[in-house]
Amino acid sequence: MRVTQFWLSFGFGLVTASVLSIAAVGLSLQFGITNYINFAYGDFMALGAYLTYAFNAEIFHVNIWFALIVGSLLMGLIAVALNRFLLSPFARRFDKTFYVLIVTFGLSLIMLNLTYSIWGPNVRSYNMKIEVDMHIGPFLLNKYEIIIMIISVVTMLLIHLMLKTTRLGKSMRAMSDNTTLAMTSGIDTKRITTITWFLSGTMAGLAGSVLGITEGNLTPAAGELFLFVIFAAVIVGGVGSIYGAMAGGVLIGLATEVSAAFINAAYKLDVAFVILILTLLFRPSGLFARSGRA
Amino acid sequence: MAQFWYYVFTLVFFLFDYFILAMGLNIQYGETGVMNFAYIGFVAIGSYVTGAVSLPNSVGTGQQYIFGWNIPFPFNLIMGGIAAMLLAVVVAFIALRRLRTDYLAMVLFALSFVLYDIINNYPRLFNGADGLYNVAEPMTGVFHMSTNSFVIFFSLVTAAISLILWAVMSRITRSPLGRTFRAIRDDADVASALGKGVFRYQLTSMLIGSFFAGIGGGLIIQFGGSFNPSAWLPGETFVVFAVIIVGGVGNNVGLLVGALLVETLLIHLPAFLPDIPGRPGLIEYFSAMVIGIVLMAMLWFRPQGMLPERVRKFPAPAGELLNRDGHSVVAPTPVEAVATTNSAAQVADAHEGNDA
Amino acid sequence: MMTYKDLSTTPAGSEGPILRCEGLTKAFGGVNAVNGATFDVPRNKITALIGPNGAGKTTVVNILSGAMKSDSGTVHLGSTDVTNMDRAKIARLGLMRTFQLSRELGGLSVLENLLVAPKVQAGESIFNIFFRPRLVKREERQNIERATEILRTYGLYDLRDNWARELSGGQKKLLEISRGVMASPSVFLLDEPMAGVNPALIERIGGYILDMKAQGVTVLMIEHNLNVVERICDNVIVLAEGKTLATGKLSELRQNKEVVTAYLGEVINASTGH
Repeated sequence: MRVTQFWLSFGFGLVTASVLSIAAVGLSLQFGITNYINFAYGDFMALGAYLTYAFNAEIFHVNIWFALIVGSLLMGLIAVALNRFLLSPFARRFDKTFYVLIVTFGLSLIMLNLTYSIWGPNVRSYNMKIEVDMHIGPFLLNKYEIIIMIISVVTMLLIHLMLKTTRLGKSMRAMSDNTTLAMTSGIDTKRITTITWFLSGTMAGLAGSVLGITEGNLTPAAGELFLFVIFAAVIVGGVGSIYGAMAGGVLIGLATEVSAAFINAAYKLDVAFVILILTLLFRPSGLFARSGRA
Repeated sequence: MAQFWYYVFTLVFFLFDYFILAMGLNIQYGETGVMNFAYIGFVAIGSYVTGAVSLPNSVGTGQQYIFGWNIPFPFNLIMGGIAAMLLAVVVAFIALRRLRTDYLAMVLFALSFVLYDIINNYPRLFNGADGLYNVAEPMTGVFHMSTNSFVIFFSLVTAAISLILWAVMSRITRSPLGRTFRAIRDDADVASALGKGVFRYQLTSMLIGSFFAGIGGGLIIQFGGSFNPSAWLPGETFVVFAVIIVGGVGNNVGLLVGALLVETLLIHLPAFLPDIPGRPGLIEYFSAMVIGIVLMAMLWFRPQGMLPERVRKFPAPAGELLNRDGHSVVAPTPVEAVATTNSAAQVADAHEGNDA
Repeated sequence: MMTYKDLSTTPAGSEGPILRCEGLTKAFGGVNAVNGATFDVPRNKITALIGPNGAGKTTVVNILSGAMKSDSGTVHLGSTDVTNMDRAKIARLGLMRTFQLSRELGGLSVLENLLVAPKVQAGESIFNIFFRPRLVKREERQNIERATEILRTYGLYDLRDNWARELSGGQKKLLEISRGVMASPSVFLLDEPMAGVNPALIERIGGYILDMKAQGVTVLMIEHNLNVVERICDNVIVLAEGKTLATGKLSELRQNKEVVTAYLGEVINASTGH
């Protein structure tokens, strides 16, 4: 009985881990390049999820997966615009990170309330067929959850290949190590920053949409509530480390779901928090941190 | 008419309460450079503890909470302040000592969520999602007040408390301790190269600020009689930051101006506007967006705030020999003829205090 | 004339070199910035730390002042082992330093930059602020008096109520040195005090450093300008590739072939135009 339950919850954990990894990698990519945390990231997720909703259930009534792709890419473009016209001018003008952090905080407030003004506080859900759960090995999952896991794995692989094999990825890694050095060695840092914001926004939109699919509903505040878990994953993995973010996402995702099966599910977040605190106490730079960070 | 004064004094209450909250965050961020993104959590702890210690034993009240000691005002308030300080000790030892600033901001923000989650999920602490209610209005028994007169009375009490706290805060910021805080804010490396134990001072600053947060939170539950999780979503911290940035980081009078502009005019005044038919909540959303926009515009066009921090001047030592244009007789000429703007006028007003 | 009151306080033990380091090493990502540096700094002398760029001079100063932890080796201040001790503690033992690029406390006034320097102040305690205000006031008055004297000597007095961030480069340099003096150090590490300042100011800073020595302060300064070294330093330590290459008087080192090839040669050639 207990064993079955363990595997069942492990399956749910994989789904959560899939969502979380996408979100954490998107946040981490941007942090590595621009060196400040985007506190509006949760609202990027929410807005992306609602854009998907708009294509899927409001205006074009297209298939959920197609809507998800369009919604995420659109969120990526919005992120580029926000960086170009808001965040990057602040980051360039002020030395202290504080200013741009506060701007992302303000952006979060604006985006959240914009989402509320457009779609209202009521719970919405995507227009998709209800699928039955299937037994796959010891797991019990539906079609959507399996597709989400595949999306996540593919995204992680693409990010990995991009970082390791393309010139873009190499430039990004160089910039994340040392921006000034990268600039002097002829890397077009402005272009890299723009691309990074596009990727980060797209992944936020993707993560927000798949979160909406797994949860079965959408609310404007869902992204912000999820932001804490993303932070936990990123910190546990080591801030600024992409692979750390992936690993942190998997660890926190599994830990929260598996523990939910054995203790009250309401304590899910607290499990993430305990892991976070233990990490801070014993390995404050994160489990997979690169040297010289944190 | 009574309704009108009720509104006005509600605004007065929030003005002075946010003045207290802003002073607390200002000493942490504005004076010492600690970006406490969990600030609203400290406010909440102060509020809950103030309420829970003043309520009677929870049996039979229909609520669940710890304490329940019937402690009267203002002692309950002080206990709320101390509770927030205890939280600060824990936070400082886990996070402050180890992490660089932007990382710290993220951890503190996460902490704010967790605190929120814990209090929401464990009703045994402070009645969970319902929050505490039926907290008695202090001193109404003594003065036989109606709700309307209580609002007036208590907003004035809050104003008085904020003025006392202002005096306390000014004394701290003007002291050598305040100066060391500002040295750490400007460059923690230099401060420690001068022999200042940075963590010790950051902790001191966190404790002072948390006490203010706790008092400000306690006053909220005493004013309204209730407090629940909807009042302190983690993003609320941002509103307090908005107050100090709009008003002027490092300037105590500026904080009052900031509280007036942000808290009173942008948050509480719109709350009295009637709803737009068919779109409940729209005004609230718009006013929140306006705060975000005002703050960004402020940071861009006037980052020092409405009332910028002022340079602290000190009286010249007694027996100072000054020649006619105010230059000290024995001083050699300045290195580069840059800032010899300091003429007699400035030397003369060097005797005035500053940092009201 | 200014007096360097209580400036002569020395860390425990008043015999032998005041600062000695042995076998210091420090690597950054596999590159050995400091690789076994060993030297003594004689008491109450002005010692120059010279060497080609990348020789590890600043890293050594960082290690001595506790700003960086060394990978191995020991540092003694007087008879106290200060190896990898907390930097604030080292500062309280009487070791002050300046930074290569001046780091003024920009949000404090010029006067406050000095007032913050005394290592232990009664007014830094909450208890004293509220319950012993007279003590705080008296101490503050004494500090202001002393800071005023120092600012006068350094020609910064008229700028005392300006934000430190508004000073010019040369003024910031002077402010940083005078702030260190205000802290009454027994050992003062100066990281390129004359870099990027005009010749007239170099003269003045040289005078201030000689003045410190006269008042019993030990100075260790990183310096590239050999003219200055020749005129004010009693002693020279040559660092190359993280190791101590030689120590002695500059005139002796000029005869040392190794030193000349590693460092002096290029400087002399450059300065004589060969």
